[in-house]
Amino acid sequence: MNKYLQIAKLTWDETLVYRLNFTMWRVRVVLQILTLYFLWVSLIPSGTSLFGYNQSSMLTYILGTSIVGSIVLSSRSYVVGDEINNGNLSNFLLKPINYFLYWFARDVGDKAMNIIFSVVELAVLFAILKPPLFIQTEGLYILLAFVAIVLALIMYFLFNFLLGLIGFWSPEVWAPRFIFLVLLNFFAGGLFPLDILPKFIFSIFQLLPFTYLLYFPIKIYLGQLTIIEIFAGIMISLSWTILSYVVVKYIWRKGLLVYTAQGR
Amino acid sequence: MVISVSHLSKYYKVYQKEPGFLGSIKSLVSRKYETVTAVDDISFSISEGELVGFIGPNGAGKTTTLKCLSGLLYPSGGKISVLGITPWERKYEFLARIALVMGQKNQLWWDLPALETFLLNKEIYNVSAKKFNESLSELSSLLKVDQLLKTPVRKLSLGERMKMELIASLIHSPKVLFLDEPTLGLDVVMQQNLRDFIKEYNKSHHATIILTSHYMKDVESLCKRVIIINLGKIIFDGELGRLARQHAPYKLIKVILQRHIEESAFRTLGRVAKFQYPELILISPNEKISEVTSRLLKQLPIEDLTIQDPEIEDIIREIFSSKQ
Repeated sequence: MNKYLQIAKLTWDETLVYRLNFTMWRVRVVLQILTLYFLWVSLIPSGTSLFGYNQSSMLTYILGTSIVGSIVLSSRSYVVGDEINNGNLSNFLLKPINYFLYWFARDVGDKAMNIIFSVVELAVLFAILKPPLFIQTEGLYILLAFVAIVLALIMYFLFNFLLGLIGFWSPEVWAPRFIFLVLLNFFAGGLFPLDILPKFIFSIFQLLPFTYLLYFPIKIYLGQLTIIEIFAGIMISLSWTILSYVVVKYIWRKGLLVYTAQGR
Repeated sequence: MVISVSHLSKYYKVYQKEPGFLGSIKSLVSRKYETVTAVDDISFSISEGELVGFIGPNGAGKTTTLKCLSGLLYPSGGKISVLGITPWERKYEFLARIALVMGQKNQLWWDLPALETFLLNKEIYNVSAKKFNESLSELSSLLKVDQLLKTPVRKLSLGERMKMELIASLIHSPKVLFLDEPTLGLDVVMQQNLRDFIKEYNKSHHATIILTSHYMKDVESLCKRVIIINLGKIIFDGELGRLARQHAPYKLIKVILQRHIEESAFRTLGRVAKFQYPELILISPNEKISEVTSRLLKQLPIEDLTIQDPEIEDIIREIFSSKQ
């Protein structure tokens, strides 16, 4: 276990080496949140509502997805594809280390940093802007939202890893990933709440895994889902997570058979 | 037997691309694949504590064999056992006791000091703090990098980085060591240091070592036994001395002449390897050495005469060019 803690720590250290990069990255995050905030404040003046969302719930949704997104969607495991192609994977295959856990540990390092800085920044923004955000007081909803986020980040990690594994068969790992990213934000509900779509389309979306990455955890937090809906959603995302885990393991084993450890 | 390999084969599928833009377009639509045989039915075994040199021209299959032995590659055919384990299964007991050191490899964390990578490897291999400190101080003082442990890797020179890579690979004191071109990129002094170190490591840890190198000096000074591989097949496996007797049963007679003479005066005595006044080098079969020498001394105006074994490098070059 110690080795994975050490990996998470080194990931953290590595990010902090480039101070300017790091600062600029955080500034970007804050600017993004501010842009979204002012956009939606002017779209839904207080007292009015749009698509069944009043100002505070819409603002909470939009800012919430941007924060949950920075936690769930910040996975480096796509680098796996490059590592396969440039032969760096060999370094890991030679050591008694689990390559999945290695990348997961790196992600945990990244995410821990994301969360800590986000909390500080949000506290400052909150104090200055005093935005009319919806604060969930029911402990159960917060807990369930947390469970949904953990499931979401594991699922996203596995999807990314799977895309990286294409590297075993083709050096062209970027094209599929690019398409995936474009579709992802829309399908996950990063642009707008998905339940403003026609009911039929939305019910199809609910069977896909993407909804559970952003939309679902935020909706739980907002308290807009019934316990039965939450339970069904967690079951569906759990099934997707298990399925993708099985597929990743299978493809990984197949891939190692054709791995050529090239470039070294 | 620590290492035993029987009938190992490895094929690669490579796609062929014609040069130029048109070739790129063509390869987009249809790709021709070709099967390349990297290793073709080789067998050998190595016992504990042996230090074996693996020699062959580029593309002979040396690195592929090492990759199969260290469990990176899945063999296309044949069986391998290292420390009683099939490498490909990559069991903990196997991985914790081997190391593959390649001349051009980077496991170091680029932006962080090398020490951080060592500490990570300490955790990965479950090395105790005491053992870690011992190994680290031994390795870093031997390779003369104690002052650089806290410098970010990207600020190190190529040679310094190579040494750090080596330390990172040896911090867990592996019992079986695969060294692929370990002296690549090092200066002459460091090459010698590294050779001494490998020899010492072999003795003190009773480690089994396979080494590939293009520098015959490395092999000559370290390995009693060599395995020569070409085009995926083993063409020689045995003692270095036997290689010379078997493939080069001749010696070189080097003569310094007092004055210039015609070539016809010595042409009948042996094959002329080099004649550039005042130096003359004749090649003579082992059994005729004394006869040729005495005739040379009688017939030619000689200032100095020495008898030498042929250079290992020359023998090997001859073997490769004749078997091509």
